Amino acid sequence: MDPHLSSRSTVEASAIAAPPEAPLLAAAWAVFRKDVRSELRTRYALNAILLFAVSTVVAMSLGMGPLTISRNADLPIIRAALLWVAILFAAFTGLARAFVHEEEARTAAALRLSARPTAVFLGKLLFNLALLLLLVVVTTVLFVIMLRVEVGNPGLLAALLLAGSLGLVAATTLIAAIIARASVKGALFAVLSFPLLAPLLVVAIQGSANALAGRGWESGVGALQVLAGYTIALFTASLFLFNSVWEP
Amino acid sequence: MSDRLRLDQAAKILLGVWMAGIIVAMFLVVPQYVGLGDAGRIIILHVPTAWITTVAFAVSAVYSIRYLWKRRAADDAGAVAAAEAGFLFCTLATVSGMWFANIVWGTPWNWDPRETTILILLLIYAAYFALRSALDDVERRRRLSAVYNLFAAVTMPFLLFVAPRMAESTLHPNCAFIQGSHCDGIWLELNGTRVGQLGDVVLALQGVEQRGDLAVAQVEVRMPGLREVALLEPSFELSTGKPADRPEFPGQQFLLAVEGVDLANGRVLLNMEAPGTGLLSNSRTFWTFMAANIGFLGLFIWLYRLRADVLLLQDRLARREVAYELPA
Repeated sequence: MDPHLSSRSTVEASAIAAPPEAPLLAAAWAVFRKDVRSELRTRYALNAILLFAVSTVVAMSLGMGPLTISRNADLPIIRAALLWVAILFAAFTGLARAFVHEEEARTAAALRLSARPTAVFLGKLLFNLALLLLLVVVTTVLFVIMLRVEVGNPGLLAALLLAGSLGLVAATTLIAAIIARASVKGALFAVLSFPLLAPLLVVAIQGSANALAGRGWESGVGALQVLAGYTIALFTASLFLFNSVWEP
Repeated sequence: MSDRLRLDQAAKILLGVWMAGIIVAMFLVVPQYVGLGDAGRIIILHVPTAWITTVAFAVSAVYSIRYLWKRRAADDAGAVAAAEAGFLFCTLATVSGMWFANIVWGTPWNWDPRETTILILLLIYAAYFALRSALDDVERRRRLSAVYNLFAAVTMPFLLFVAPRMAESTLHPNCAFIQGSHCDGIWLELNGTRVGQLGDVVLALQGVEQRGDLAVAQVEVRMPGLREVALLEPSFELSTGKPADRPEFPGQQFLLAVEGVDLANGRVLLNMEAPGTGLLSNSRTFWTFMAANIGFLGLFIWLYRLRADVLLLQDRLARREVAYELPA
């Protein structure tokens, strides 16, 4: 090893790292606020995913009309699957935006200089979570109204939607950062995300079906545990791997 | 160096002879299995390829870790080569399994937990290759695809844990990894607990009687949701101590077997079998199966190392081309 090289690089590193020595969470919060502000100016992701969700739900209700209990005994699982498919594909259209926008606007380099990788990741994760929760609320409310769904256990459904959203965001934020560097971004995001989301989707749909059918909390505890474990595992893995993705 | 080459050559020939031996043994050594006939021979081909698929995925993930750690082109080539070989074996396992399922279970695809897992694995491999082809910069392609490979590996345990919940039942003849199945069976008694549950089927013992060398149990079987109720008469050979007649559950491919009888007290040990259970209890089948596992593992190692060498060579050639095209 060349001693000059190593000493110079440490000097450089400390010079670069000096200004953003702000606490991690404060830096992450700053990244989040920056993203919210820039999103509110363009409303690109908001418009895209909300309109996508509305179109999906309207298309479903146009195609099927209100499904009544008398028509089908498997109704809760069908409805739960439709709800999660609508959420999933709306999420695929919008959640990559946080990182793709940085690359397209060529602001990624500036962001690299001004915040630590972990802070960037946490900020983007928070932004995606906020976006997804908004999407989930809008989709679910529309879904319940337009398809005349009776929710048997609203508390459990809300808990599952929240846990599912956390898992979805934990899985897709890192993938968004990966595909932002690739040449065909839109299609690739869904292709890379779907296989990883399969376990989450299965558990969330089955749990939600129980909630729609009005079964008690004990029917959803297993699903919530799996979703929590999934979220924690993928979040931890993302924290380890994000540095390698975020290198210039 | 030449010693190593000679050793490699010898290993290659040995592998070829070994695999040829397995293919011959698959048809000549392995006996027919009751209930499956010749279709049962697929275990020699299907199970090792499915097993190698997971090994390949793990090998690829280990190379990806090493790449992110040391950033050497050789590790990336290893990861890609293992993934490509794994994809090949994954396809083989899926196709051979579908073929077998179509013959024995009457449908090529059943959303069986194993089928689901292997399909998702195929999708992950495909996504990995799609990602690689979408990244133009060589260094970035290696780094990001290694990250994706590891990230996908993190979700695999959840898939293995979750998939068994998907279908209500599995047709795969193995209960060791699948939740909710009882490998040990249940004891029912005429004078005690007469009703019990195997998986999601309720069994009620109605009677036991001896007919010659056979002990025949009358068992009422109620399928989930009381869709179907049937009276089955599985039997047990007293002299050999083995199940004799295994009737099928109504509307399903499972068999009901009596695995133990206590005639004096009216007690019966009942168990559920998928066709093919106990295939490996035949020692000729077992040893051919183990030899096939070793052979396929060798085949995988040979394939992925060869492919890794080719990938490295290609990389070196490409770089030399770039170097020569530069103005001197």
